[in-house]
Amino acid sequence: MRVLVCVKRVPDTGARFELTPDGRDIDTRNLEFTISPHEECAVEEAIRLVEQHGGESAVLTLGPEAAAEQLREALAKGIDKGVLLETDGSEWDPAATAQAIAQAVRELESADGPFDLVLFGNESADAGYYQVGVRVADALDRPCVAGVKGLKVENGKAQARREASGGWEIYELPLPCVVTVKEGINVPRHPSLRGIMTAKKKEIRRLTPEKPAMQLVKKGLRKPPERGGECEILGEGVAAVPKAVEKLKEIGVI
Amino acid sequence: MSEFQGVDYYGLDELLTEEQKQIRKTVRAWVNERVMPIIADCFERGRFPDELVPEMAELGFFGANLKGYGCAGVDNIAYGLMMQELERGDSGLRSMASVQGSLVMYPIYTFGSEEQKQKYLPALARGELVGCFGLTEPEHGSDPGGMETTAVDAGDHYVLNGTKTWITNADVADVAVVWAKLDGVVHGFIVEKGTPGFSAAPIEGKFSMRASHTGELYLNDCKIPKENRLPEAVGLRAPLMCLNQARYGIAWGVVGAAMACYEEALQYCRERRQFGKPIASFQLVQEKLVDMLTEITKAQLLCFRLGQLKDQGKVRHTQISLAKRNNCRIALEVARKARDLLGGNGITLDYQAIRHMTNLETVYTYEGTDHIHTLIVGHDITGIEAYR
Ligand SMILES: Cc1cc2nc3c(=O)[nH]c(=O)nc-3n(C[C@H](O)[C@H](O)[C@H](O)COP(=O)(O)OP(=O)(O)OC[C@H]3O[C@@H](n4cnc5c(N)ncnc54)[C@H](O)[C@@H]3O)c2cc1C
Repeated sequence: MRVLVCVKRVPDTGARFELTPDGRDIDTRNLEFTISPHEECAVEEAIRLVEQHGGESAVLTLGPEAAAEQLREALAKGIDKGVLLETDGSEWDPAATAQAIAQAVRELESADGPFDLVLFGNESADAGYYQVGVRVADALDRPCVAGVKGLKVENGKAQARREASGGWEIYELPLPCVVTVKEGINVPRHPSLRGIMTAKKKEIRRLTPEKPAMQLVKKGLRKPPERGGECEILGEGVAAVPKAVEKLKEIGVI
Repeated sequence: MSEFQGVDYYGLDELLTEEQKQIRKTVRAWVNERVMPIIADCFERGRFPDELVPEMAELGFFGANLKGYGCAGVDNIAYGLMMQELERGDSGLRSMASVQGSLVMYPIYTFGSEEQKQKYLPALARGELVGCFGLTEPEHGSDPGGMETTAVDAGDHYVLNGTKTWITNADVADVAVVWAKLDGVVHGFIVEKGTPGFSAAPIEGKFSMRASHTGELYLNDCKIPKENRLPEAVGLRAPLMCLNQARYGIAWGVVGAAMACYEEALQYCRERRQFGKPIASFQLVQEKLVDMLTEITKAQLLCFRLGQLKDQGKVRHTQISLAKRNNCRIALEVARKARDLLGGNGITLDYQAIRHMTNLETVYTYEGTDHIHTLIVGHDITGIEAYR
């Protein structure tokens, strides 16, 4: 069986972050990057499916050259091939991203044969639009289940399970199909040292998609107040009162 | 305690390759998930977490810088970063990787016959076999050349006699690389568990390296097949070459322990309040923290350059001695300072400092004591031997 998994390079937001001066983006200069958590699970699922059923897996991302790092990470875990849809690093909205991915899937399939399964994460950790997987399924005219926490392939069919208020919804889909998975479906492995070394030699194909006009424009971001935070000593006793009042005004509570 | 972030005051990460960072990420994540939750308990009970050996093998930690035979073949900086992350967890864990990789796999890889390599290396890399390295004896520690263990050629086999002590993994090892004198010359022999005349016992009552197996090996008319001698290991140079590999890993490893102590102490000092303010606001406390960070940063730079030299095949054993000596010293100093800054909490296993601090007492001593490395470098720069 042939499985394609699509991932996104996102800033590792476990750490503290700052916004860019124009307030439209996260300042990524001092951040590490990673694969979105749901997509890490999608990668793991792809590896397991191919380990079980044989065949080949590929990982695809749309992003700047630096996103090859995330492809390598997936290759290090055991995915066979990488595909980079290279952009100049600017923001692509979900419609444009899905259009480019669907086009790339058609190209890859006409060269190497169809993918039985195209996997996505349910939503990316940064933008969180919840759209790309579903839009790609629509563009390719394939059935799709989103938010999947259990996946099996048997007798040429996929069985997808979704959690539903304490119980399960179970769907059967013909292949080829599209599935977006959620964290919890599996526990992703760490790439082994051997895997990291062999990933260097695996093929990454580069395609350059045309960027269409954006329909969705992100206007700005607002940073949530820092959790935990630090404490600032304003002074001691009565002497601290004027400063304290000033602070309270500053944060808008009086 | 929040998750380990790593200390990088001088932007050394910029000098690392993508793979080196990826390797560190794997080891760091694994240590966070699998080691940190249990390590204080292991230490308290005096137990090495044997259950983690298959995972360490699967992730490629054993003999990681060797090529072929199922080894990962990573460069020496990546290898050092791996050791740093392991020792950030616990020195016992790094010891396991050092012994298996540098002291058991390396000698078989370097001095072994092709049959020996095929027979042992893949199984050691997979963690199916655990190894130990028997050099130190009850009467010969810093001076292994004086060893009394002997091998006698008895026609179709060798007969080994002697006692080895302070041997990491002695009591659990499936294979021991044992050093013994054959006609007065040091040679290396592979002794398998279960060989008649070969036995081991753990050393009890350790206050350091509690999460590590340490024991003695006894060889009483132990007959081993002729093919178990390492053909290329002739003279004391051979075990010393192994020690150089392990010392290289230690030079990196102890920086990990120091980083763990520093990070924990820094966080603690920012949160702990005395006299109405965080203790981090006192000058004496800041000085300690800055000293810790400074020494860690210097040690990191030393490691990085040492790794480059090793990858270029240019490193001298005296340079490794300098780094082992310096980094063990500073790591121990950092751990002691961290212990101090944690106050009473610093003597409990709820914090890492005391565990690292006591472990580092071993690391300061094994693989060549601080004195011995001083004298190795002293000999190198003056041309005068001072150890005998
Ligand atoms: C937990 C642990 C694990 C170990 N694992 C292993 C292992 O796996 N395999 C193995 O073979 N060994 C192992 N060792 C042994 C270790 O390498 C020795 O303990 C070390 O080499 C020191 O030897 P010693 O203990 O006999 O001390 P000694 O050599 O007796 O040294 C005692 C003191 O005398 C000093 N001294 C000795 N000679 C001189 C000199 N010429 N000039 C100045 N000072 C001198 C030393 O520096 C030290 O301060 C381990 C030790 C420990 C504690």
